[in-house]
Amino acid sequence: MKTHIIAFALSIIISLSARAELKWEQTALELHPTANDKQAIGHFKYQNTGKTPVHFKSVHASCGCTTAQTQKDEVPAGGSGEITATFNIGDRTGTQVKTVTVETDEATNQKTVLTLKTIIPQQLELNPTFVFWKQGDKPDPKTITVKAGKEFTVKHIKVTSSSPDFQTKVEEKGNGEFQIDVQPQETKNIVASTLTIQPEDSQKVFYATARITNAPTVQ
Amino acid sequence: MRSSLVRQVLILAALALAPGVGGAVYFRHKISWRSSILPSELATVDQAHAWGGNVIWVDARPDDEFASDHVPGAISLNEDRWNELLPEFLAAWSPGKRIVVYCSSLSCNASREVARRLRKEAQLPDVFVLEGGWEAWLKKKK
Repeated sequence: MKTHIIAFALSIIISLSARAELKWEQTALELHPTANDKQAIGHFKYQNTGKTPVHFKSVHASCGCTTAQTQKDEVPAGGSGEITATFNIGDRTGTQVKTVTVETDEATNQKTVLTLKTIIPQQLELNPTFVFWKQGDKPDPKTITVKAGKEFTVKHIKVTSSSPDFQTKVEEKGNGEFQIDVQPQETKNIVASTLTIQPEDSQKVFYATARITNAPTVQ
Repeated sequence: MRSSLVRQVLILAALALAPGVGGAVYFRHKISWRSSILPSELATVDQAHAWGGNVIWVDARPDDEFASDHVPGAISLNEDRWNELLPEFLAAWSPGKRIVVYCSSLSCNASREVARRLRKEAQLPDVFVLEGGWEAWLKKKK
């Protein structure tokens, strides 16, 4: 019986050594784009360590914000290449994890999931990004706190209201922290304003919204 | 003879399972690519319909998918153009409205992210993620 097991194991080892096999340098990448970058691009390198060619059957990204491209459809024995994954940052914030699923015609490991982790730096954090008053409310000021991200030094910010219906006042609290007081002129009419917040010496713009809403819906 | 065969089957099964178990232990602290969601933050299509006109449907899918088709009356709010689209959404919101966010259910995380940002950044209450996403809505429509 032992002889049978050894023969079985040897046959598996021999067949494994003969098959096509993609070896990935890394299946997970962490990217650190700058605050102004529009895209984060990851390169997943591979090599066919087997003795027969490998064909890509499909390369599929987990979300519309990520695209993935192969250099070629067939990887010859001993050949190498890479899959380029491009993550469109858009207005996303924080840590974003997207995946790319690669299917090949290998005998085993036909499906490989590549993970692209992108850490998007946030120059300013606003809390909250929306302040509102209901029609008829007392037009008391409401506060938006602004805090500079860990890797950034922000000494001053400029705040602009798109509508004269809202006044803003900025108070510098130190250590990259600011307080924006937003106050409507009155709350009779439904009006809104986009508040544009821009750190000094920066092209990056942040937004908040101030609005007078109608009364709550009766449920 | 039979017990020997069973033992070999068990050994082979254990060997086959070992990489999976090892991987699960080794990567136990790695974050998942799907943000977690509480059951209370989910809404079914039937629940959303029952809320009637008190619901704002939010489409978190990319612009082209929204343009192709969407829930009638839905507002597009995706993270590609968050800064531009958020004020348009807020113009439709009023206190007491329930917000139901959906995206494509096919491995997409967009609705969870949009719902999270509406709760955390805009500090809006009553934000729900549609269970089953766009596909669930389509199925109910038929």
